[in-house]
Amino acid sequence: MQLLNKMDELYLDNIDEYVNDHDKIVTYKWLSLTLGVHVNTAKQMLYHYLDHKRKESSAQLHATYFVSGKCVDNGHTSHKASVVREEQLEEFKSKMSLIVSVHVYSVQKALLRDSGPLYAVDYDAVKDNLLSCSKYSAIRCSSAVPMSSVERNAQQAPPPPVLEPQQSKKPSTNGDTTSKARPAKSIMGMFAGKAAVAKSQDGGKEVKSEPQEAAAEVDVPKGKASAKFNHMMNFFGNQSMKKQEKPVKEEEEVAVESSLAEPRQLEKVQGEKVTTEPPKYNKKDSRSKTKRLQSSDSEEDKMEKKKRRRIKKPVPDSSEDEDVIPDSPPPVAMRETSPAPTMEPASHPGLSETTKIRKRRRVLKSRTFVDEEDCIVTEKGYESESYSEDESATKQAPTKNQAKTKTSASNEKKSQKKTTENKATKQASIMGFFQKK
Amino acid sequence: MTTLTRQDLNFGQVVADILCEFLEVAIHLILYVREVYPSGIFQKRKKYNVPVQMSCHPELNQYIQDTLHCIKPLIEKNDAEKVVVVIMDKEHHPVERFVFEISQPPLLSISSDTLLSHVEQLLRAFILKISVCDAVLNNNPPECSFTVLVHTRNSAMRNMEKVQVIKDFPWIVADEQEVHMQEPRLIPLKTLTSDIVKMQLYVEERAQKM
Repeated sequence: MQLLNKMDELYLDNIDEYVNDHDKIVTYKWLSLTLGVHVNTAKQMLYHYLDHKRKESSAQLHATYFVSGKCVDNGHTSHKASVVREEQLEEFKSKMSLIVSVHVYSVQKALLRDSGPLYAVDYDAVKDNLLSCSKYSAIRCSSAVPMSSVERNAQQAPPPPVLEPQQSKKPSTNGDTTSKARPAKSIMGMFAGKAAVAKSQDGGKEVKSEPQEAAAEVDVPKGKASAKFNHMMNFFGNQSMKKQEKPVKEEEEVAVESSLAEPRQLEKVQGEKVTTEPPKYNKKDSRSKTKRLQSSDSEEDKMEKKKRRRIKKPVPDSSEDEDVIPDSPPPVAMRETSPAPTMEPASHPGLSETTKIRKRRRVLKSRTFVDEEDCIVTEKGYESESYSEDESATKQAPTKNQAKTKTSASNEKKSQKKTTENKATKQASIMGFFQKK
Repeated sequence: MTTLTRQDLNFGQVVADILCEFLEVAIHLILYVREVYPSGIFQKRKKYNVPVQMSCHPELNQYIQDTLHCIKPLIEKNDAEKVVVVIMDKEHHPVERFVFEISQPPLLSISSDTLLSHVEQLLRAFILKISVCDAVLNNNPPECSFTVLVHTRNSAMRNMEKVQVIKDFPWIVADEQEVHMQEPRLIPLKTLTSDIVKMQLYVEERAQKM
């Protein structure tokens, strides 16, 4: 190797010190910024160090590798870039059809359980060298030049309208509308929610997608998320994607908050790929992303169902009828009752009973009259039901209802609803409920 | 951002808030890294602009929050000398103790904007260090549990007993067994020195874990 000279041996000692004495995670980017060398040199240094140490077989070292290449997934070819653990490297490489690049990503003593620390390591290093973080980088884009202040001012007005549709659409492309209402079990949802909220800040997560996460989550920086959105648009129609790429790019440059250079550059690289390669490539790329979206969509559906089920449970509890054993009623019937539990507590027992297995039905035959206090009083008579098997004495309930109705005009509504309900007694409860309105 | 002075805001409260937030993240991370609970219950969240692992289990989260809620008044008054996260094995013998030594300088200086982002950076370094601490620690036996201890003054303890900050969440004096470990090995992890707080994290590990 060409690197074997005295200068580089000093660097090897440096790396050794960082890894063994300070217990640091040494990523190639951190090394390149710390030592002031080009990233490719840093990668080679790490490889050399690892090799050296492995031959000596002294301390136990762990390494992660960056692999990127083309991969065929169910007939769709996509370009994947991942950070994988050493143990998974060969397996991952074998899955790829074409390997574009493999290099050491980091070296550390500890076995990393997740990828978070890798990001954290680079974060501070890049933040300290924010303006010059691409000095040693190998990613170049000739059209990526900083805008002059004139251009920047001209760009001030357009970006907000471009921003808003993206913000509203981005959560949906990521497969989750709001992460607030639901307990965020969908990890994609968490990221979508945060990406929408922290649009101006750089909530930049891991730049590369990683298969080492068992939950198949994807850490996507803001730039990539907007590029993803653009790919989605391309999938559906080849129209304005390229136009949108440019304002997104420029808007990112305008972004005030500190952002990592690499996601920006990655996005620009992707932008380049878009312009140079045919649209086919983008379609396939977005297809693999739609799969992810679809899976998170199905998670979203599960969440909806769970939410519905949760609402159902309090409804039987609000029932005043003690004899009715609140079973878990079928979803459709009870969903409709949930919006107005307070309005008609007494009518619920009727509804809930019809959906129970026993099919006991209490027909409330109500007599409405105005008493001396100008209150509308409803007295309910109790009648047996045609399809009821039991007719247990629930006469306590009518008396309770009476007491309740002697209070306010809202009872009028109740009585009306009960009368309408009587008409629909012989049918399933759903129709009865609908007819009320 | 407003500059904080002792007169404007309760500076102690601000510091206590920052520290309690940090301790919450740190406890979750310790539980994740030391595999006290299965990693399936953890989820990536963002704190100090870096990804951290937090648990989704509601009861665990509630327990940790209640614990820190009770500790917060102690930190405000600078009564909490140490906050210790003890990991115990099946027989409730401690195997590891993560000790956060906290001290606040008596004269808190007026802070500026840069101070808080500097503190954020320091706390980030702490988080990173906890993430890689299993390089220096041996593996724990299976089926461990954890508890949180606070080293504080007698007067503060009396106050805590008198005023139950959270109902049905009593604090009791820790057993000798939980406080002291046999043959501990001391491993320093990180130190933080800033204008508002000085914190040190070290781990006491039992030599024979299994």
